Amino acid sequence: MRKKSLFGHLKHISFNKALILLFILLFIIIASINSNFLYPDYLIGVMLRNMIEIGLMALPLTLIIITGGIDLSIGSTLVLSAMGGGLVAANTGSSILGLAATMGIGLGCGLFNGLLITRFRISPLIATLATMYLFMGIARGLSHGDSVYTFASSTFLGNTQIGPIPLQIFIYILIAVLFHLLQARTTLGRSLYGIGLNENATRYSGINTTRVKYIIYAMSGLMSALAGLIWLGRFTSIKYDAGTSLGMKVVTIVVLGGTSILGGSGQIRSTVIASLIIAVLNSGLTVLNIPIDMQIIVQGGVLILSLVAYSLLNQRVRQKLIIKLAPVADNSEK
Amino acid sequence: MKRMNEKSSSDRQGTEVAADSGNASLFARIRPKLQTSEFYLTVFLVIILVTLSLVSSDFFALNNLMNILNRLSYVLIAAIGMNLIIITANIDVSTGALISVICLAIAAIGKTGAALPVLLLSAMGIGVLLSLANALFITKLRIPAIVATLATSQLFAGILPITVDGSIYDLPTSFTWLGFDAKIGGIFPLSAVFMIIIVAAAAFFMKYSRFAKKLYAVGNNKQAARYAGISIDRTVLIAYAIAGALFGITATIIATVSQRVTATMGSGLEMTFIACVVLGGTSISGGRGKIQGTVLGAIILSLISPAINYLGISPDWSDAIMGVIIIVAVIISELQLNEAGPSLKKSDKQPRGSIQTPGSQQRKEA
Repeated sequence: MRKKSLFGHLKHISFNKALILLFILLFIIIASINSNFLYPDYLIGVMLRNMIEIGLMALPLTLIIITGGIDLSIGSTLVLSAMGGGLVAANTGSSILGLAATMGIGLGCGLFNGLLITRFRISPLIATLATMYLFMGIARGLSHGDSVYTFASSTFLGNTQIGPIPLQIFIYILIAVLFHLLQARTTLGRSLYGIGLNENATRYSGINTTRVKYIIYAMSGLMSALAGLIWLGRFTSIKYDAGTSLGMKVVTIVVLGGTSILGGSGQIRSTVIASLIIAVLNSGLTVLNIPIDMQIIVQGGVLILSLVAYSLLNQRVRQKLIIKLAPVADNSEK
Repeated sequence: MKRMNEKSSSDRQGTEVAADSGNASLFARIRPKLQTSEFYLTVFLVIILVTLSLVSSDFFALNNLMNILNRLSYVLIAAIGMNLIIITANIDVSTGALISVICLAIAAIGKTGAALPVLLLSAMGIGVLLSLANALFITKLRIPAIVATLATSQLFAGILPITVDGSIYDLPTSFTWLGFDAKIGGIFPLSAVFMIIIVAAAAFFMKYSRFAKKLYAVGNNKQAARYAGISIDRTVLIAYAIAGALFGITATIIATVSQRVTATMGSGLEMTFIACVVLGGTSISGGRGKIQGTVLGAIILSLISPAINYLGISPDWSDAIMGVIIIVAVIISELQLNEAGPSLKKSDKQPRGSIQTPGSQQRKEA
């Protein structure tokens, strides 16, 4: 176990470097083709601002995937919480109540996922698939299919500039640092890897795995709600189907960051770099006038490349293990 | 029956230690009454139908029933394919995009005036090829099914609008023949005949063929299946190929209902298919699931939105109601899995509530 995590550590350093290299490479290629890309206004106001919501949701999802779980319902949670807040604010006239409603609904959605996954022991894939329908359905029912409009605190979060830099970028940096500390410096962060590698062993070693899971799914709900506020402020209105493809986009970022979907490995740092790569890709290809569909292909292609690279890297690490720890390696092969 | 219950409850006590038993006492009282999930689904279906017949007699008008039947036929055919994939403990989230690709491809072929057999065969051919591409990523590169198909779904979805400009329209009547004119006795749609044939074939195949046993073996315990001499990669490849052919048939039924085929005809459908399979009691961790369950799941999910309409509830609530039904069904099936006792359970040692992807089982034991 200790050996393995040592190897895992070495592996991650190289993978992170590869990601940074990819980021720089993409950046240089795009900037050399079209220098408009380098305008600070574009880099900050468009490129970074556009990835904040997805980047925010990718942070807790990284923690969830490290435990071997998944949350497909984040897109629907975003829509439902933003919509709930918008409706409350519109009906009561109080922006603070709207803000509280948004965060409350997000927290509630996350805890409901946690309840299904821990108490009823439904696999996270199925539980969050079902709640994806449920939350989106409730949002549709509440809004009767119409758009819901923004309110003061949402506009503040999504549409405020501090000097030349939008407020949400500071929010993202702050939260990313907090999540990094949580993952890298706390007992809770360590226990995530334990749950991902062997949940029963982790439970027997005295960690309350149920509580850990509740916490991470609740955080996922809260971050989706925050992302929903920023989204609503940025676009001024939201419809019930706005979140349908968001979940998959966020999963793409986390997987691109090298977090194994099987659980037990992954880092917040890599997820942040992967978010930047996707941001460069999206806005860079827009600058180059490449149609949106081609951008989807490129994104899928990058994901496949990173998966193949990661799978090859993994096999190499396993081969090393086979030499050093033959009996263990026999089990861990494939 | 009583004896069996006693046995399973005592079996359960042995495993209870490993599981955290919060409100077990509540469920312990309900549990003996639980039967198979097919039984529950049938009861539920009967309740829906009786309620509908009490509230609105229009629902059973022939026209309405035939409309529902048409929708059911394409959902069910693809759900059977998805069922095969999920039994092997894999999954396919690219199905919606894949079906969109096939729809556009056969529309391009149909534009030349090709007849239904040509369309159907080429749809199945393309379906098999694309689905095999998915399976190769999973078997050869050892990428977990959910991320592999997530990546290919983006490729499929992106390729479409580049090859054709948005949509193919003004399709000839030879193309829309299946959707509009192919009705037996002027009323019974041909697509429903396809569905009945495929359901019968699938039920027969799952019960009697040797390959079906391999599917369950691979889904249940890969290592054991390998030691028993089953080629896991080949089994998974064949499962995906059959599913691809079924997706092709579904795409044909979807595409031929209009003279204009757009690039998003299948988007989001994969979730409906997975929902049918899960509602039918197939375990997402593989190795367990019946065709009968999938059939019932598909019927219930296809009935929901028309039923909601006839019950006078706003159609805006249909997604939410679908979500509730799936959650309740999954909870019941999970409780039942506990009742069945460890002998039928996949593996007690394995932590539940984690995604079961190929290799995860071995990994966790390592």
